[in-house]
Amino acid sequence: MFISERLFLVVCFIFCTSHSFADNNNIPRLPNGKPDFNGVWQVLNTANYNIEPHAASSAMSLKDGPYGSLPSDEVVSLGAVGSIPAGVGVTDKIPYQEWALRKREENKNNWLDRDPEIKCYLPGTPRATYMPFPFQIIQSEQAFFFAYEYAGATRNVFLSDPGPAPIDSWMGQSYGQWEGDTFVIEVTGNNDQTWFDRSGNFHSDALHVEERYTYKHPNLIRYEATITDEKVFTRPWKMSMNIYRRQAEDAQILQFKCVEFVEELIYGHLRRNHE
Amino acid sequence: MNRLLLLLILLYTHPAYAEYKTPETIFDQPDLQGIWSNATITPLERPYNAKESSISKHDAQAWEQQANAYISISEQPIDPDAPAPKTADPAKGYESFWVDRGTNLAIVNGAIRTSLISYPSNGKIPYRSSAQSKLQIFLSRFISGFDHPEQRSPGERCIVGYGSSGGPPMLPVLYNNHIQIIQNKDHVLIHVEMNHDARIIRLNAPHTPLPAWLGNSIGIWEDETLVVTTKHFAKGQDCRASMTHWFCMSENATVTERFTRISDSQILYEFEIDDPESFSDVWKGEIPLNAAEGPIYEYACHEGNYGMKNILSGARQQEAELKQ
Repeated sequence: MFISERLFLVVCFIFCTSHSFADNNNIPRLPNGKPDFNGVWQVLNTANYNIEPHAASSAMSLKDGPYGSLPSDEVVSLGAVGSIPAGVGVTDKIPYQEWALRKREENKNNWLDRDPEIKCYLPGTPRATYMPFPFQIIQSEQAFFFAYEYAGATRNVFLSDPGPAPIDSWMGQSYGQWEGDTFVIEVTGNNDQTWFDRSGNFHSDALHVEERYTYKHPNLIRYEATITDEKVFTRPWKMSMNIYRRQAEDAQILQFKCVEFVEELIYGHLRRNHE
Repeated sequence: MNRLLLLLILLYTHPAYAEYKTPETIFDQPDLQGIWSNATITPLERPYNAKESSISKHDAQAWEQQANAYISISEQPIDPDAPAPKTADPAKGYESFWVDRGTNLAIVNGAIRTSLISYPSNGKIPYRSSAQSKLQIFLSRFISGFDHPEQRSPGERCIVGYGSSGGPPMLPVLYNNHIQIIQNKDHVLIHVEMNHDARIIRLNAPHTPLPAWLGNSIGIWEDETLVVTTKHFAKGQDCRASMTHWFCMSENATVTERFTRISDSQILYEFEIDDPESFSDVWKGEIPLNAAEGPIYEYACHEGNYGMKNILSGARQQEAELKQ
């Protein structure tokens, strides 16, 4: 009995960790044979706080204290709810140009004023992927579409070459192609208004993102994004993470139209009889 | 005898006589996918000078010429040295470059329609007086409510598209009348260009009883027709419009939509509104969705909503000046 259990575990380990198993045989496929990414997906990481490795800390917005940083006056009442969980990071140290690293620190120190997420602005790519909200892929033989719960953001992926993006946009222009069982999306035409996370990591309008979606398991996608932006970074760099399928029978993305939630923040001072 | 049989076969298989066969997706379901537009100059309600539900081609041409006359007027060059107008003129808010409301009346089953409403037969919304009162309050606030952002319409607030573009019912508005439909086995997604609203319609599933902007939609296939039922509307979206026609529904309304592909280039979109709190009868409409060239562009409304700041700060400035 004991031996049988151990044998079972060994067999299970081999099958569950075998890339070729996932790549070839056991992943969902559309009737046309392409990998089927339809589903509700979500990451389980802290990348939206900081894509670089980071220890836990008391708050995103800090001020100097007698023994180190303290939560700033604007967020101190949040207590533990406003503190930051640690994360091993989804990338190594980002290769910023010197000026850009200073700007990242400025951004971080002015998080409340500058992070576009606080104003419910569209998250851009790749940040939409690892926001702490699920997203849904609707895929057919002729379309590939991302619907993100956060801010109701959307992204339609062109499956034939659309040519250069006609204008920069928040979510960019996406062009997807298959490389074997990996779906590769080139995201161009990005504006310079979105961030990578809450820690001030940023880019310019020269941002080019190559995303790669590869099944590692029927309910697990390995996601890689290669970031190129010669105005901000010294070289291309890559982030990678797992994306998990929401498997509940009633899995669905709900509505998080946060625009109405930030009206007081953005327009409150313009109310009649505002105190 | 053989010649007669051959003739019957030819007639049956000729495109002009054969009933349209809807193509299927790889999931063996009727294929509605593509980019479509519901732009039309047919109004939601029948105008008082239109007696019937449809008109002749001759009368339609006259109607279309008159309706489109504004395009040539607004395309006149603007005098760059002209002073600012002394009074607000809403008609000057948009020149034709920014307008894409269509140039033709809607044609449904070969009839050129004078209203999008097909029932009641008079082409009018069967308001209850309570709904009319609600509408008057809304319109009064719309015209002169500048105290708080919540007094502005959901479209101005960039929560949903203007009018009832995302619906349901999805009705034509001044511009951005495009939708993209994508299907998989269990869902139909309608991507509404105005305000990047993605209506994710779950097939053969129960409603999720949470109030939501655009409501909660589920769908079933009835032969080749997609039937979508929507309930649980957010309270703030109760009053909507299609061009100049406004109406208010309650959050308890049920909207049923039917999508039937009738040719390679057209979907017949039917809707029915059942809301006894607001209307004395159900009311129904029919709108052709015409195949449109893509792509759909990003409609990042909130991110560039200078209008809301200007509206509120302008009102506060006026108040300050009156106090002096």
